[in-house]
Amino acid sequence: MTVGVRLEETAWALLHQALQLYRDSPAATDHLRHQLARLEQPLLIAVAGPWRSGKSTLLNAIMGEEVAPVEGVDDSGCFTWYEDGSQPRATAYSADQPAQELAIVKSPTGMRVDLVGQRVGELRDIVVQWPTRTLRQVTLIDTPAATSGDEPGRAPVMERVLRDADAVLYLTRDGRDSDLRLLETGRESAVGQAAPVNVIMVLSRVDETGGGRIDGLLTARRLARRQQRDPRVDALCVTVVPCSGLLGLAGRILSESDFAMLAELARVPRPELETHLLSADRFVRGDALLRPDAEVRAALLDRLGLFGLRLATTLIRAGCDSRAKLSAELIRRSGLAELRETMHRSLIDRHDTLKARSALAAVETLLRSEPRRGADELLGRVEQILAGAHEFRELRLLAALRNTRLGFEAELAAEAERLVGGDGVGLAARLGVEHDATVERLWEVAADAQWRWRNRAEDPLLRLAQRRGAQVVARSCEGMLAELAGGGR
Amino acid sequence: MVAAIWLDVLDEIARTCSAHGRGDLLQTVRQRRVQLLDPRLRVLVVGESQQGKSQLVNAILNAPACPVGDGRTTLLPTVVQHAEAPSAALVRASPAAPGRPVGAALPAAVERTPVPLAQVASVTGAPGSRRGPAYVEIGLPRALLGSGLVLVDTPGADEVAALGAAGPVAVPAGADTVLLVSDSTRELSAGELTMLLHVARSHANVVVVQTKTDLVPDWRAVAERNRQHLAEAGVSAPVIPVSSALRLRAAAVDDRELNAESGFPALIGRLQRDLAGKSDRLARAAVCTIARTVVEQLAAPLRAELASQQAEEQSGPISRLHAAQREVDELRRCSSRWQNTLADEMADLLSDIEFDLRDRTREILRLVDEAFDTADPLNAWDEFQEWLEASLAEAAEANHDWLVQRCDWTTRRVAAAFARYGGDVLPPWPMTVPADLGEELPEIERPNVDRFTAGQKLITGMRGSYGGLLMVGLATTLAGMPMINPLSLSVGALFGGKSIRDESKQLLRRRQAVVKTAVQRHVDDFFVRVTKDRRDAARQVQRMLRDHFSALTEELQEAIIQSFRSAKQAADTDAAVRDHRQREIRLKMTRLAGLFEQAQQLTVVRSAPVQLEPRA
Repeated sequence: MTVGVRLEETAWALLHQALQLYRDSPAATDHLRHQLARLEQPLLIAVAGPWRSGKSTLLNAIMGEEVAPVEGVDDSGCFTWYEDGSQPRATAYSADQPAQELAIVKSPTGMRVDLVGQRVGELRDIVVQWPTRTLRQVTLIDTPAATSGDEPGRAPVMERVLRDADAVLYLTRDGRDSDLRLLETGRESAVGQAAPVNVIMVLSRVDETGGGRIDGLLTARRLARRQQRDPRVDALCVTVVPCSGLLGLAGRILSESDFAMLAELARVPRPELETHLLSADRFVRGDALLRPDAEVRAALLDRLGLFGLRLATTLIRAGCDSRAKLSAELIRRSGLAELRETMHRSLIDRHDTLKARSALAAVETLLRSEPRRGADELLGRVEQILAGAHEFRELRLLAALRNTRLGFEAELAAEAERLVGGDGVGLAARLGVEHDATVERLWEVAADAQWRWRNRAEDPLLRLAQRRGAQVVARSCEGMLAELAGGGR
Repeated sequence: MVAAIWLDVLDEIARTCSAHGRGDLLQTVRQRRVQLLDPRLRVLVVGESQQGKSQLVNAILNAPACPVGDGRTTLLPTVVQHAEAPSAALVRASPAAPGRPVGAALPAAVERTPVPLAQVASVTGAPGSRRGPAYVEIGLPRALLGSGLVLVDTPGADEVAALGAAGPVAVPAGADTVLLVSDSTRELSAGELTMLLHVARSHANVVVVQTKTDLVPDWRAVAERNRQHLAEAGVSAPVIPVSSALRLRAAAVDDRELNAESGFPALIGRLQRDLAGKSDRLARAAVCTIARTVVEQLAAPLRAELASQQAEEQSGPISRLHAAQREVDELRRCSSRWQNTLADEMADLLSDIEFDLRDRTREILRLVDEAFDTADPLNAWDEFQEWLEASLAEAAEANHDWLVQRCDWTTRRVAAAFARYGGDVLPPWPMTVPADLGEELPEIERPNVDRFTAGQKLITGMRGSYGGLLMVGLATTLAGMPMINPLSLSVGALFGGKSIRDESKQLLRRRQAVVKTAVQRHVDDFFVRVTKDRRDAARQVQRMLRDHFSALTEELQEAIIQSFRSAKQAADTDAAVRDHRQREIRLKMTRLAGLFEQAQQLTVVRSAPVQLEPRA
């Protein structure tokens, strides 16, 4: 909370100042106007990651429909944008040709974009409009594989991702060094060096962890926590979430007939079924006695994966006796529920902050790439805004409180979360009082909270991370007091 | 007998290494020799993390030798070999021999800490300590190991650079067979392909093991694509798809069919073939690869030397001779250039200085004219004289300052022609304004001016009043008045006054004219004198500059001619030496080529020939 002026207003003003400075350069003006327009648009979240990390599957799982990927654009460096629209529509944009409408083939669980007759290599963007609830607040971007940028003849994908998207879900199988290096490309600018609030690292394909053992997902959660403790990872992303896109998607599009098949499978005696589930080959080949028949089994395997089959049959045996129950359990176990929750809390709820951050980054890039008289002052202004942007610190703290990294007691953590805006960013919501409370009451509660958290920030018995967290909370309280003193509600 | 042949070639390679004075290569070759004579087959398992390397080792042995888990489990290389009873030990290079080359770490120089088998996981999972590279050695009583197989499990490596970073036991060069592990959930990545290319270049025997075939239904397609990728990259490595999980399960339930399904029989068959053929086929291939690496390494500096020698023909004494020649020409051009510059600049300078002085004096004269249009020289002379002298002195001084500046500037212009010969070419003298400039000027004499004395005034007044008196007196006599009456007297006084005033005005004008003329003459004198001074000064400067730069040119010329002479001498002697060295290098190259050819004969599979011929 920047006292007086909110971050997004500051960003808006900064964009206008930049427009004034670059008024004689048409390209820069276009760019800045585009950024201004972006402030009003839904949040742009890119799903990025190295090759075969499960980007499209996760995107489908988030949307709950099979819409990605657009077949055949894998190697072309083309971004696919999924945005809200009243009619399903797909449009292709390339660098030098006018936009072209693409044909859409609907399927029971989603749709497929037909690229027949397109020169795939020249495409730059494909915009898919798809009426679905998920896309009301966000636009999802499916990106090509992120490479380390040393491949000749290809623009570094990650650079474009960080430039075009407001937030990034970065998928990785194991968070190895090359992934971290890719993410570090965004850290060269002043905006990038400020607190990283726009990247969520997703440990993807976790159903394959440990060779498909039934407890693989639990291990994945442990791995994610270990990753989060790594200071290098911590400096690059808000939080680390394990998620299996395949299982999540299966859970979201599970049909009654699928459930019936699975239930039938689960009725097979356990030792016998286990021998069938030893390998994918064995399951598909099976023996003639195993029902349902081979074709259906192959489809099931394709949808759930071997691990998904093992998990689903175990779950059914353990009492998930309806489609809805199984589907909910699959979604929960896949980590998709947690990922969606994190996305909402850390990204979508902070829409304004993230938009403002993108605008700051865009202005900074422009100022650095086309320096001119007066650019230095604006750069100074960007840094000033960043230094004062308490929002970023709140966001970081929020993520830390959620996965109990700091080790505050549950009650304290809940209070801290509320104060830094975890339950809503209004004053009453932050302070946890009834929404029609008087200014005096608000003042009283805020002052009390400020005093307690300030004390906590200076308590030498607490760990450093806890003291830092308490400082942020105290600062939030001070901001609220200042707002109250300024007559705001 | 076959063994002897490759051994001979290997020894020949070693001899060549020492002949070329490459101790490092010799070390490697000796090490490889020891290793090739060792009947055991050392199998290195490499690959990215989380591909199932440790599980593969376990599955090959059908025993939980290496700890497996999620995340990064293996952080230390693990060597699994035969032992009568299960045992484990942590081995690290002794810190007593830090200066030794890595390859020289002899068994004597390591310390060995026995580890209980149950705690192996905690040891391999510990990150490498600062005390130098360490590895875990595990002994198992297995028939497969007993036949001479040694398996080396390594920590996951994302990149080529990370290969072998874990210590000397994990270096691909030290292994007989390298298994690159990649799982079936995806095709070979770009990183894995580079790693393969790197290993295949220095290593003849690489196998790609595609693990986790139980996990995905389309592993056959992945294997096919992998083979395609390998063919495109030009790596001749077979792809063997396996499933460790199936193999371990098959062992547990003793199911032959399942074992066959796991794909391991093919892999183990391959390893056993390698083991059996080690002393022959494998060794010959290895020697061939060694020969190629060694010859490439030895040839590289020779080729570079040859190339640099050819380049030297341009940069050597001959070219120095040419350079000296060019220098002489350049100096000649330079000398005519600076002379022209000096003459031009000086002519410009003279005319500019003269104009400046003229301009200044005219300004003074204009002021004088203006002043004496109104002022009376009689009253204002002393003040005026002071002013005039000060103005002239100031003009002369400013003009001189400018002259000095211009001279300095000219000097630098001329010196610029010598810029390529170094900075210290400016003449050492400074030019300053003479302090006694003002006193040198001639004093202006006070001009002779007429004064209007009282007697003159009286006479003039009398003469003027006389006319008036007479005129009015005559007129009044007609009216019967006397000649001298009050009226005529007053008119006479009026006339007298007027003529006195007229006369004094005329005199003033005359005085002003006289003064103006005198001042003009004085300023002219001043101009002539100062101009003369300036011309003299400028000429003097010109002469000094000319002398200075002529001397400098001569000096430079002397030096250049000297270097020209020495270059010529050197060029004559150098050619012979170079020819000799070139012949030597070519001879060495031919020998290396022969050696390489000999090594190539060992194997039926011909590798790509090395570019040995020097590029002409």
